[in-house]
Amino acid sequence: MSSIRTFERGGIRVRGDGEQEEPVSIANAFLPNSAVVLLKQHAGAPARCVVRRGEYVREGMIVGRGLGPGSADVHAPVPGVVRDIRVVLLPEGGESEAVVIALEGSFDRLGRRAERYVWNSMGRADLLRTVRDRGVVDTEAPGVPLYDLLADRESTDALILNAVESEPYLRTESSLLKERAEQASDGLAILAKLTEPARIVVAVDERCDEASLRPWAGDARIEIVRFEARYPQDMRNQMLESILGARKRSNSSVLVVRPSTAVALHEAIVLAKPVMERYVTVGGGAIKRPAVLKVRIGTPIGDLIEECGGFLGPPARIVLGGPFRGFPVHDLDAPVTKTSSAVLALSEDEVGSAHRNPCIRCGRCASVCPEKLDPERLFRLLSHRRVAEAESWGLKDCTLCGACGYICPSRVQLVAAFAVRLRSGISKAMEARP
Amino acid sequence: MTRVRNLVLGQAPHIYNAQSTSSLTWGMSLALVPAAAWGIYCYGAAAALAIASAIGAACIGELAVGGLSRRFTLGNGSAFLTGFLIGMAMPPNVPLYIPVASSLFAILIVKAAFGGLGSNWMNPALAGIAFAILDWPKAMNVWILPRDIAGAVGISGTTPLEFVRQPLAAAATGSNPLDLLKSAGFRFSGLDHRITDFLNQLLFTRIGSDLPSGYFDLLIGNKSGAPGELSGILILAASIILLARSMIRWEIPAFIVAVFSALTWVFGGLPYGSGFFSGDVLFSLFTGSFLLVTFFMATDPVTSPSTRIGMFIYGGGIAIITFLIRSFGSMSEGMAFAVLVMNCLVPLLDRRRAPLAGGRPLGAKEV
Repeated sequence: MSSIRTFERGGIRVRGDGEQEEPVSIANAFLPNSAVVLLKQHAGAPARCVVRRGEYVREGMIVGRGLGPGSADVHAPVPGVVRDIRVVLLPEGGESEAVVIALEGSFDRLGRRAERYVWNSMGRADLLRTVRDRGVVDTEAPGVPLYDLLADRESTDALILNAVESEPYLRTESSLLKERAEQASDGLAILAKLTEPARIVVAVDERCDEASLRPWAGDARIEIVRFEARYPQDMRNQMLESILGARKRSNSSVLVVRPSTAVALHEAIVLAKPVMERYVTVGGGAIKRPAVLKVRIGTPIGDLIEECGGFLGPPARIVLGGPFRGFPVHDLDAPVTKTSSAVLALSEDEVGSAHRNPCIRCGRCASVCPEKLDPERLFRLLSHRRVAEAESWGLKDCTLCGACGYICPSRVQLVAAFAVRLRSGISKAMEARP
Repeated sequence: MTRVRNLVLGQAPHIYNAQSTSSLTWGMSLALVPAAAWGIYCYGAAAALAIASAIGAACIGELAVGGLSRRFTLGNGSAFLTGFLIGMAMPPNVPLYIPVASSLFAILIVKAAFGGLGSNWMNPALAGIAFAILDWPKAMNVWILPRDIAGAVGISGTTPLEFVRQPLAAAATGSNPLDLLKSAGFRFSGLDHRITDFLNQLLFTRIGSDLPSGYFDLLIGNKSGAPGELSGILILAASIILLARSMIRWEIPAFIVAVFSALTWVFGGLPYGSGFFSGDVLFSLFTGSFLLVTFFMATDPVTSPSTRIGMFIYGGGIAIITFLIRSFGSMSEGMAFAVLVMNCLVPLLDRRRAPLAGGRPLGAKEV
């Protein structure tokens, strides 16, 4: 238990940011005056809007109905009047319909003592239906509905509660473990009942203290595994490899969830609340008082930044999500969704931008690639449109973690080049070209 | 819409490592300053002028090439570093057209003609130095003694490394390079005597050995040679900084030093008749251009392999060729050629790099 695991090769320890990554106490954010509720906050098709303009919605009322697999129900995070239903651009690209709710009227849940449902007596089918109806999704992008992850599962070799932060700067999960350990533990217990796994593993950061692990102390069924804080330590392949071993990782049936997902599940089942809130890290060097906030979905990110004291200096970049895989935003009205793990305002210093130069073949990119690829070669092949060859060198194994881009002294746009190939289907079309 | 001014909407990742290509080249130039300053102290304004004209010519060449494609590339520091390295390797009192021509050759022919930064397959600085040695062999072999030991007679017109290779010297038996220098009248500084005596009293006599005089001058650079290559200690100190900040990779210098030291130790004593395993490693490492080339030029990422096995072969090859040239070649400053030969092999060394796990061999079908 005491040994700290890590992955075989590659990876990055980002320069001194220790203080920013300590878990902190969680505060409740102010309620938004007007919540912009996206109808696409999950992996699949956007939910179908079931409210009309001018209609009064109560807190937690359904406003969008999920359409099949990958899609999930969307609920009103605040009571109020539907002011507008409009199309907005998404930071990750594409667009979605959004329901704009102006805060009004009284709260049905806020400030009242929550009833606690005894879930132990509920059957599997009941639990699953509840999970679906409360719109619970995996809190990591792209936000696969939890119902989809659980429903068709025949057997589970391992259930992993992954509290290792996915990227530097983020501290949502470690803070949740510190402050909401009982809720996370409840959520994990519900998942264990639904999946009946052979092993239950709680994966934590090397810096995690014993207090955060108190719900599981002395529980023989649960293994605690510590991981080195090295990006991208949370990556599924690397984590499974060190927990299950290299040979087993590919043919095992494993469910990995985040503490934030477990807490959301706890609220959905035990407190009978649909997903109306989520925990968000507000951080980065350009934020005056970095914090982890419990935020109503649909709150504009500008409100969160203001609540954290505003900007310390001019931000160079504002990012929704982590610094490696998050999406850049320029619009402070962009709303928080079920999968927004963080809002980061990065200073010029942290961004570390420099002039682009030609590749100097230093090999740093290959030395940090956790998938053991050779980004330099892939980039060269792609810039000559030799896509098939790039794929034979493992292009498809690229997870777009961004480690190569981070380390490149010439700032070659490696990740952008790979993302274009991996995110779109044009690779086939290019192959067909003479 | 609430917008923030001057935000960059760049692709992920949104943070970068502080190290950039320009910070690497400028940092290396900065690290060279103490060694260059020592050379200028030893040889005066002539050395400064040679370095300045090499840098100037390199920068003008880079500006001219950049102007053709309307790009300003001086900022990346690569041309400055190339000029700096060429200037440091010039003998004192060299006619100024030699550093100028060498720098222009390095920038225009070796670098720009092959596509500029990142695309050249020979190290520009070394190619420039080799160009000078081959074109003006006489002028590139005129040496004078530095100011602290000036006036010594006997071997003032040559470098220690050059001297011990002369046929007359090689015929001597039962000695070592330093004894040979001393018997030829090569004078060491008073400081050297004092330090050597001090160290002997303090340390070496207690462990039953004796440090011969001369090594101190050799290490700090009180000897004849190119201004930038004189002070092995300062170059070594600069290299340690580069290594500690991961500005250069440790593998290549480590392999060069290890293989070269081993070869010198095993075979270096043969010309002196002292048999195998008696070569003077310290003398070989701290003479000529060895340290400067090993840490500042052989490590050039553009012209060196990027896999560890490639670096091993590359470093080992440089050491072997350097040893052969120094022992049997016609030039004592043969290290430039050793690196250039291995530069040519880099595409081959990198080709050997097999697809790593996850990748499949070229042409293999996905099963």
